[in-house]
Amino acid sequence: MRLSNVAHLYSVRIRSRLVQELLALAGITVGVALVFAALVANTSLTGSVKQLTDGLVGQATIQLVGRGADGFDEDLLARVRRIEGVADAAPIFEARANIIGPRGRRSVQLFGGDPRFARLGGALLDLFAARDRQQASELGEQEGIALPAPMATALGITPSRSFRVEIDTQTVRVPLALPLPREDIGQLVESPVAIAPLAYAQKIARMEGRINRIFVKPEAGQEAAVEASLRHLANDRVNVRPADSDIAIFEQAAYPTNQSTTLFSVFSALVGFLFAFSAVLLTVPQRRNLIADLRIAGHDTKALIQVLLFDALVLGVLGALLGLVLGDQISRHLFGSVPGYLAFAFPLGEQRIVTWETVAISGGAGIAAACVAVLVPLRDVAFHHPLASPSPDRTIRRETWAVGVGLICLITTTAIIAAAPAAALIGVIALTIALLCLLPLLLRLAIWGFEAVSRNLKSSVPTLAILELRSRAAHTRTLALAATGGIAVFATVAIGGAHADLQRGLDESAREIDGNADVWATFRGTPNAFATTAFAEQSARTEALRDLPGVGNVQSYRGGFLDIGDRRAWVVAPPRTAVYPIPPSQIRSASADTAEDRVAAGGWVALSEAIAKEFNVGVGDPVKLPSPVPTTFRVAAVTTNLGWPPGAIVLNADDYARAWGSTATSALHIQAAPGASVERLTRAVKSTLGPRVPLLVETKAERISRHYAASRQGLDRLTQISVLVVISAILAMAAVMAGMLWQRRPTVAALKVHGYSERELWRALMLESGLLLGTGCVVGAVFGLYGQLLLSRALETITGFPVFYSAAALVAGSILALVTLVAVAMLALPGWLAVRVRATPGVPG
Amino acid sequence: MLELEDLVKHYPSGGGEIVRALDGVSMSLGAGELVALYGPSGSGKTTLLNIVAALIPPDAGRVTVNGRTVSGLSSREAAQYRRTEVGYVSQSLDLLPGVPAIDNAALKLLGMKISSREARRRAAPLMKRLGLAQRLTHRPDELSAGERQRVLIARALSTGPSIVLADEPTGSLDTKRSREVLSLLTEICGEQEVAMLLVTHDPQAAAFADRVHSLTDGQLVRYEPDQDLLSAGGS
Repeated sequence: MRLSNVAHLYSVRIRSRLVQELLALAGITVGVALVFAALVANTSLTGSVKQLTDGLVGQATIQLVGRGADGFDEDLLARVRRIEGVADAAPIFEARANIIGPRGRRSVQLFGGDPRFARLGGALLDLFAARDRQQASELGEQEGIALPAPMATALGITPSRSFRVEIDTQTVRVPLALPLPREDIGQLVESPVAIAPLAYAQKIARMEGRINRIFVKPEAGQEAAVEASLRHLANDRVNVRPADSDIAIFEQAAYPTNQSTTLFSVFSALVGFLFAFSAVLLTVPQRRNLIADLRIAGHDTKALIQVLLFDALVLGVLGALLGLVLGDQISRHLFGSVPGYLAFAFPLGEQRIVTWETVAISGGAGIAAACVAVLVPLRDVAFHHPLASPSPDRTIRRETWAVGVGLICLITTTAIIAAAPAAALIGVIALTIALLCLLPLLLRLAIWGFEAVSRNLKSSVPTLAILELRSRAAHTRTLALAATGGIAVFATVAIGGAHADLQRGLDESAREIDGNADVWATFRGTPNAFATTAFAEQSARTEALRDLPGVGNVQSYRGGFLDIGDRRAWVVAPPRTAVYPIPPSQIRSASADTAEDRVAAGGWVALSEAIAKEFNVGVGDPVKLPSPVPTTFRVAAVTTNLGWPPGAIVLNADDYARAWGSTATSALHIQAAPGASVERLTRAVKSTLGPRVPLLVETKAERISRHYAASRQGLDRLTQISVLVVISAILAMAAVMAGMLWQRRPTVAALKVHGYSERELWRALMLESGLLLGTGCVVGAVFGLYGQLLLSRALETITGFPVFYSAAALVAGSILALVTLVAVAMLALPGWLAVRVRATPGVPG
Repeated sequence: MLELEDLVKHYPSGGGEIVRALDGVSMSLGAGELVALYGPSGSGKTTLLNIVAALIPPDAGRVTVNGRTVSGLSSREAAQYRRTEVGYVSQSLDLLPGVPAIDNAALKLLGMKISSREARRRAAPLMKRLGLAQRLTHRPDELSAGERQRVLIARALSTGPSIVLADEPTGSLDTKRSREVLSLLTEICGEQEVAMLLVTHDPQAAAFADRVHSLTDGQLVRYEPDQDLLSAGGS
């Protein structure tokens, strides 16, 4: 058949099934939107780090990186430049800072670059590119900071006015601001960065003579030799890595977020597809008649496929386009925020990065879903005898196969839980397939059970409901509806349950780490929720605090990040006398008391499981930490990752000072004297420190609350998607059921002729809906609890997250009750309208 | 025009029994001739039509149309045969819902190598001939039962077939409408020299036929309808 004739046939037919097509379109749109939004969020995270790295790295291929916040001596640069085979080398200084303008404040990563070597760097350092030595020298002496233009505008900072910067424990007034527009630094304009001449950055950070990185560009063919020389020069005090290694480190840290978002995207797409499938099924009888007519009229199989495929492609392409638009909005306004915990260790921007792969995957999935939804139910008519109908034997065989496949998938999931939790994604897919395969049998059992229970009831309502549920014509539609509800509840219960298990573990970890002091003083800034930004400890200030009434003790807490391979491990170092030298709930091996005593005594560390595996050590083994001063400790315990995906290391603050070669402090632990008011003490500490010192003073409770909020941010996206999944599923079920009820009118009209009242018919419709949806949702909830076990086990085993199990039956029950009741409630009005049809023996269809 | 030679078609039924729907049926039809197959439900009449239309294959025997054997065609050849040689009218068929009458009538023509506009143009004269000139853009739910049946006839005849197979074409119509539809059908078939095999259990319909056969126990038997029955049906 000519394409124009296929299109013509489509256009003249659409009017009669417009509502069903729109429902199917909505389903495809929702699925595509969620997949797209989730993929953009994932891509943008890594892309943000990649852009920043590219902005710095430029032509360099190797870098030397300091192991601590203090960096290393700038003299090393000259020695690097003298190595044979080094074409060029550029120093970079880095520090955490807060930019304060008239309209607000913002935490940034301050980079200091040397104009003499700017030619080596990327876009971020281009602004230092000078024509000659003279100009480079002049630039290097400037006292000013360049900021991305949007940040400057948002903070009210203009070139003509000075502004303040909090860095270390001082506030500095910067005389000159240089806004950097998008034309100059591209997408980096969204990153939380600030750039200054190296000397000026060192000066305001009080780190003169110190740098954090040296980017190296070897001559062609000299890479290996230069790297070897650099390692020799580094002498195990400084890391030698590829220039873009930060990307790999970040990907490692973001892995759980990306994996979970991908998982949720799969669920979302599945719900969207089932939505579309259910809606398209309502048009199957019409399409079936069309196919029969076309075959009798002499159109061959190729023509039939053309007609069906055209239907599918119109639906798929339109759904994909609308889905991409909706997904774009979701990614901007709902998934736009960066998981806060990742920002503690990486300067992440708000860039949205949309790649053609993301568009292709999302759109392609929508088109494929539409094709399957349209073609699969009609394969028997399209490929077999036009007057044949599916034989009962064939249906039974198919269902038997489905049960077999379902049981195999269930066994596979169980095996994965028990022995291979790393394959959790496969386990989830297998569990989903098991649910879909076993649902027909379970639904049949539910209907049989209901029939048995209602047999002796003196009411026509249950009988009418059962008649419809047993109808062969409605069988596939019925299953699709139950499956939609089942999948939605399954996804929500599994993910919600695992989320809750994880949250419990994270909260416990936060409570124990932050519970070590009554009052905390840390460098201000949201990214410092983990207290990893160091500042110089001033004895005079500490003494002043100790003298305050109500103060029992003032001690140093130290913390930071340490790169071990591709992992940026979080280092926690409370004072020796802390209540919890190691968070006891997070210890996975060894006795908590023994481990805590050892760490407090010194010379011992606790490693998270992944770090211990990286070093190939166990409890009692020696381990040499690649700290600025490489130091050997013994392993006191193996722990969870304390909520930080790459892993964690716990030691006491004195050991930290020794291994990092620095007495810099990350936080002041202020203990209240017995009987002293913590609130009053907090006010006194704030007053003593004064407003010019950029330290945030908070009580233990405030700090724990901030820690909770930060860890929840990392799981925000999961919550958002699971809410969207539930909402989509409720709408999907209600919309498709409403369509189905409307199609039921001829039957209702005929039943009214036989004397059934509107009330009876309405109650039968509601009962049928409730039974159908309820069964699907109950099955989904049961599978969801199993899925929760799988996901929690995976989280714990693969990522080392602290996970505290609980059988969330109450939560599961609440979710399924909510979904079922809301969906049925939404059907009340359409159902009532459907039974208002006039009693007639036969109504034209 | 149409030759049926010893057609056999058996169906298994429940309990291991065999239903002999056709058990050696032979018949021939000439151009413009109308043969009615009379008999009760379940006697194999529709099976015979479906075999002639190459919708189902016979277990034995042969169907020849214009000298060409059409039993045992491939799926693609059978489709081609139905499009160009056969017009099928049945009370169990219905118009595509929501689709204008002219497009319903042009459904067969869309499979030819012509545009949809041309297809409509070719179907329009037939529609007018069948008294549907004012109904071209009407949708099925806006047409009466008789009008819908006439659209189906227009569809069947739109490609100029050699044979029309009509399975109870007036089954759902009242007496008056039945006469109108049958009159038109036989008139057009006569004009176009189309052979028509009409399946019916309506004696009035049988009265239009040149010959009437009945199918009993899978065998074709010449049937002489009762004159009184025909008269009663005619009024």
